[in-house]
Amino acid sequence: MKNIFITLTTALTLLFSVTSCHSDLDQSPIDPDSFTEEDVFANATEAKSALAKVYASLALTGQNGPAGQPDLGNIDEGFSQFSRMLFNLNELTTDNAVVAWGDAGLQDLHGMYWTASNDFTDAMYNRLAQTVSFSNSFIENAERLNDPVVTQYIAEARFIRAYAYYNLIDMYGNVPLVTRIETTLPMQSTRAEIFNFIEAELLDIQNDLAASGANEYGRVDRVASWALLSRLYLNAEAWTGTARYNDCITFSNNVMTSTYALHTTDLNANGTAYDELFLADNGSNGAQNEFIFALNFDGLNSQTYGGSTFLVHAAVGGSMNPNDFGVNGGWGGLRTTSALVGKMGANDKRAMFYSNGQTLEIANIRRFTDGYAVTKFKNVTSTGQRGRDASGNFVDTDVPLIRLSEIYLNYAEATLRGGNGSLTEALNRINQIRARAYGNTTGNIASSALTLNFVLDERARELFWEGQRRTDLVRYNYFTTNTYLWPFKGNAPSGSAVGSFRNLFPIPSNTLQVNSNLTQNPGY
Amino acid sequence: MKTLQKKLLLFLLIFPIGMFAQNTLKGVVLEGKTQQPLPSVSVAIEGTNTMTATDFDGNFTLSNLKKGQKITFSFIGFKNQTLVYENQSSVTIRLEEDLQELKDVVVIGYGAVKKKDATGTVELITSKDFNDGPVLSPQQLISGKVAGVSISSNGGSPGESSNINIRGIGSLSLTSQPLFVIDGVPIDGGVGGSRNPLNLINPSDIESMSVLKDASATAIYGSRGANGVIVITTKKGKNKEFKYTFNSSTTMYDVMNRVDVMSANQLRDVIALDSNYDDTTSGLLGTANTDWQDEIYKTAFGRNHDFSATGNAWGVPMRASLSYTNHDGILSTDNFERTTAALSFSPSFLDNALKVEINAKGNYEENQFANRGAIGSAAVFDPTQSVFDANSPFGGYFAWISPATNQQVALAPTNPVALLNLTDDSSEVRRFLGNVKADYNLPFFKDVTATVNIALDKSNSNGRNITSDLIPTSDPTWNGSRVAYANNSTNKLFDAYFSYVGSFSDKHNLNAVIGHSYQSFEYDNYRYDSENEEDGVEYEFIDKSRNVLLSYFGRVNYDFKKRYLFTATLRADASSKLNPEDRWGYFPSVALAWNVLEESFMKNLKMDNLKLRVGYGEVGNVNGLGDYKFLTRYTGSTQTAQYQFGSANGLPSFYQTYRPDAVNKDLKWEIGQSLNVGLDFGFWNNRLNGSVNAYVRRSKDLIANSTVDPFTNFSNQIERNIGDMENRGIEFALNLTPIKTDNFEWNINYNIGFNHNEVIKLPDNQPVGGISTGVGNNVQMHAEGEQPYSFFVYKQIYDASGVPIEGAFADLNGDGQINDSDKYFYNDPFADILMGINTDFRYKNWDMAIISRVSLGNYIYNDVKASKGILDLAVPSTNDYITNLHTDYLTSGFTTISDVTALSDHFIEDGSFFKIDNISIGYTAKQISKGVDARFYGSVQNVAVFTNFSGIDPEIPSGIDNNFYPRPRSFMFGVNFNF
Repeated sequence: MKNIFITLTTALTLLFSVTSCHSDLDQSPIDPDSFTEEDVFANATEAKSALAKVYASLALTGQNGPAGQPDLGNIDEGFSQFSRMLFNLNELTTDNAVVAWGDAGLQDLHGMYWTASNDFTDAMYNRLAQTVSFSNSFIENAERLNDPVVTQYIAEARFIRAYAYYNLIDMYGNVPLVTRIETTLPMQSTRAEIFNFIEAELLDIQNDLAASGANEYGRVDRVASWALLSRLYLNAEAWTGTARYNDCITFSNNVMTSTYALHTTDLNANGTAYDELFLADNGSNGAQNEFIFALNFDGLNSQTYGGSTFLVHAAVGGSMNPNDFGVNGGWGGLRTTSALVGKMGANDKRAMFYSNGQTLEIANIRRFTDGYAVTKFKNVTSTGQRGRDASGNFVDTDVPLIRLSEIYLNYAEATLRGGNGSLTEALNRINQIRARAYGNTTGNIASSALTLNFVLDERARELFWEGQRRTDLVRYNYFTTNTYLWPFKGNAPSGSAVGSFRNLFPIPSNTLQVNSNLTQNPGY
Repeated sequence: MKTLQKKLLLFLLIFPIGMFAQNTLKGVVLEGKTQQPLPSVSVAIEGTNTMTATDFDGNFTLSNLKKGQKITFSFIGFKNQTLVYENQSSVTIRLEEDLQELKDVVVIGYGAVKKKDATGTVELITSKDFNDGPVLSPQQLISGKVAGVSISSNGGSPGESSNINIRGIGSLSLTSQPLFVIDGVPIDGGVGGSRNPLNLINPSDIESMSVLKDASATAIYGSRGANGVIVITTKKGKNKEFKYTFNSSTTMYDVMNRVDVMSANQLRDVIALDSNYDDTTSGLLGTANTDWQDEIYKTAFGRNHDFSATGNAWGVPMRASLSYTNHDGILSTDNFERTTAALSFSPSFLDNALKVEINAKGNYEENQFANRGAIGSAAVFDPTQSVFDANSPFGGYFAWISPATNQQVALAPTNPVALLNLTDDSSEVRRFLGNVKADYNLPFFKDVTATVNIALDKSNSNGRNITSDLIPTSDPTWNGSRVAYANNSTNKLFDAYFSYVGSFSDKHNLNAVIGHSYQSFEYDNYRYDSENEEDGVEYEFIDKSRNVLLSYFGRVNYDFKKRYLFTATLRADASSKLNPEDRWGYFPSVALAWNVLEESFMKNLKMDNLKLRVGYGEVGNVNGLGDYKFLTRYTGSTQTAQYQFGSANGLPSFYQTYRPDAVNKDLKWEIGQSLNVGLDFGFWNNRLNGSVNAYVRRSKDLIANSTVDPFTNFSNQIERNIGDMENRGIEFALNLTPIKTDNFEWNINYNIGFNHNEVIKLPDNQPVGGISTGVGNNVQMHAEGEQPYSFFVYKQIYDASGVPIEGAFADLNGDGQINDSDKYFYNDPFADILMGINTDFRYKNWDMAIISRVSLGNYIYNDVKASKGILDLAVPSTNDYITNLHTDYLTSGFTTISDVTALSDHFIEDGSFFKIDNISIGYTAKQISKGVDARFYGSVQNVAVFTNFSGIDPEIPSGIDNNFYPRPRSFMFGVNFNF
């Protein structure tokens, strides 16, 4: 009997344990930093943190600052930050910047010999597509919440998506137009189709966005949608063949009559208010009134090896004292060419260059002391204090992506290109920019001087290192042609033309391999 | 215990005993050699279900015997004896120890078979054949002993982990390491803070290691069998009398080789050639002649003591052992200290019908990790500077100080001696592995045994990395830092299975197993960072995860007259890592073997063994894949990756961000299919024996982190099942005993494995193998039609005298420019041929063993040369410090570093080698005092390396030589007492 009992007990125990543990296969995350979709879209408060990621995908690189849980694979995390890549693709490829480092594919950019497997053109494509995916996911999930606050969040996510698409067609031309999260391989849309999509989106969201100046700093209001439309229409002729200068003027006017204003108070009394736009406290020193859309950084809470941390560290080298820039050391990389230096008037205080121990002309791109260094971005406040990170590793300075003076320049250029703006108004706005730059009116120009080439040069003076130079040069058809040459353009010391196919970057060869619906841009 | 056992006997076995007292046999079983009584010996009447066991004093009683019945006496580790009942009333049986038995039984997972009956490719190494020398963890015991198995330590630190590949690598991004099973418990990686999860076991506690190589053998482990299985069996108690061993050894470690960097004078001679060199640079040069590698490496010492007791306590066979290990590393400040304890009991109840095995192993490890950054720093640090500088604010250590900030220059290397002495990285690791296994012979089905195995594997570590406030840094606010962590991992196992053993009409033998297994893996890690706390951001981090593996398995071994053998297995595994639809994987195998010698027509052949085997199996792999990858999850950001929206009270308001993580709902198991054909042979009383195996192993649906269209997911790369890979090879193993007399014995073991590995399907190439030149630069590529991890490089052009021309590469596609499309595939880091050549001698009381290995066709990217032998590096663009150069510059003359020049095939070298791993000599002194035997031994590890590779060691598991912790040469002396 006992034996039978033991056998039965054994058998029952086995049977019980077998059936009880099947349900154990359904494990859900137990990590406190891991959330489900239900947690994230439980209410508007939680959804705001998801919206923060949509913005942060352009400012930071992952979930662990400065590095550790990257958003993108197959690239150094610091390299993958949006505004750092914007610098690499839109400034480093032009007369505005050179770099000393030898990372794979980096010298290809200024030398204009990049290939379809270039790490930086590849990473930028992936970063922007990922921002589209993050936005799509946010829009789709947040729609369920039915909350007026969330309606505004959704409009902001649609703005970020439109901004990502604006950059995608600027850099890559024809790309997939994806507005929902789907795993099926997307088809390629034309640049014109996406242009129309961006336009329609921006027009559609303007009333859902907050009124001018009514949103928190760091989040966009409806002025941002107008400003991006202004920029989009300015490039319409170059991108789609159809000029839209009147529309550009309309939306530039909307922006110019909004609550945004040029920052003109010279807080640190150095003769101009311009430098304060790029200081550690530019999110609160008054400069923010000029920022229509900016990326927010913080040396303690928003750390990355890209963003302003890159712009400050990488530009310091040679005999420059890192303390003057609020950082603990220079990376000895970025300088500029004589082409930019030569554009600056004698008393133009935007000529923020460091020449001590530096040569104006470049013999060896890989040597930091060849070419003037640039002192535009600093991690020092308008009262001379270092940013919040006392160690000097990470920088507080916010990076403006769209600011008011650009819209003045858009207005002037659209008018000069035949739009229905007022030349008097254009001249007036240009002179406002110049008066701020000079600290007085000695730099003001007469209407006769206001030409398209002047506007392009003024854009260089006002907006250098802010991520727009390549787009401007392409619009003027100067980027690849021999109409305008700069040092080491086309990898020749005195500059040379390159194939016009380089007005677009290649679709990454990695992406082409996994999506056969895509066609490479011609020339690559 | 004794009375309890007797009571149980009485209570439970009322029926068979003593109904009629006639035809009763009483007896005693003694150990043949010592004449001591043997308890727990099985006594069975053949052809019936009647069996009993000897009691504590070796006594037994059998009733109801019939004349002519055969009675078998069996006990593990002893030869069986059979007695024919001739109406005797009492008998004394003496069992002889069976030295051959251990060698003949191989553990195959949920059971064991005699080697003769095995159908799979399984190799057994017993303690007698283990490697000597300073062996701190188990895998080193069998290095070079098994054909087709490569075991390379990951560096020269004491207690370091090893890279183990059985028949090449089987996965691209998941693990290619075999599964370790210790006393029936499959173990996983342990916790962070430990040097090597296998440090759990003291190597001298190991009785045997079975290496299961082909899928027909490993399929019983299903989803974890893809890379082979190594089954470790620890020593158990058996004899009645207590026996003790005490072992003590001392080891001295010496640096063998170092990186060829320039001396101070060599650097002074060439530095002026650097294009950045000017008066500022000459002001930086010092007057010292420092060999920085001399400063960081030292001669190190280590000692081991272990003690074990085997015997029979309270009627229960048991073994207990204790060991203590304390070894310094050759890199200054490196230290490994470990205490292990192991206890095993093997009681039997109910006349041996219920056999219980209780194993408990624990270790306590204290690690002092030297800062390995010092290895790279010593190679590049300016030899014209002294270690110390009286004016240095950094604890008196020389540092490159920026005159502007009075801090260390931002990108300058840090004084390696300061790195070693001003950082303190230590940990304590505790691990416990315990299991209780019960085999119950079912009373009404004597042929059936029910087994339950319950195990707990629990690890816990505490560590801290403290950096002094004095360390050279560019941070003016630096006041020291402390990162502390506490990791816990808990794995639980529950196995239950039934085994059946039976024979029919003396011809058909059947052995079957069917069972269920449940295993859960959980970790819970905590980390603290003082720097974050000072910055007022989140400074405590928790990382937790859990996964479950659920399985059913079955196996049938059938043979006809021991002549034709057949094995079939099936395992069904479900992992919580996969989505419910793809969660279950089914892993079958079949194997056939033919013992040719059993055929009547072979009777006259003078052979001892001739067996042909063929086996096929399918196994899986998801080891190394993260948990929950198929779920849509959001990761919250840390407080250093928040985003500002607006301000409150004049301060910015930061928001945690939620990121949707890349997701792949379609992930499924990697599948390994392998076919093996083998031949085992033995001549001359097996003094010449060996085996030949040929195999094809195909790994399908390999998971790799691979590119996706970024518009279709939340990342540009997700883990997907994308590729197939194949390993093909031949292995040959030979054991020869040319001389065997009472006084002299000579054994030779030779094994050779040829393996060819190829990626046979991969939709897009996967760059791998990061190098130190440039950020994000890779030198290796997985590509279809190539070996995995193949080097993908530019073809260097050389001048007439064979000197490489800088920046000159072959324009392989002939388009007039040198770019990515001119790269080509050039060799790979894996050996094409691996050999082990081992021999041992015994002359009277002297013994000697030599262990050597050959590796052919393994190539290495010499990253040290590529990243340090370039003139331009001596003076950086900032011209505020100096870097030492590799002497390769003196021959190559390379001046400019770039991502292209670093990817030259010039830096890829043939790493083929012949290594004499170990020579050891011992002398055994019998009866040095009453009942005490002693053995005195000495050994040299890393005796000699013959290679053309120019770096410090040609055995680099990753194939990229960069700042490798050099493996030391060691000299060990020890003494071993048995009493």
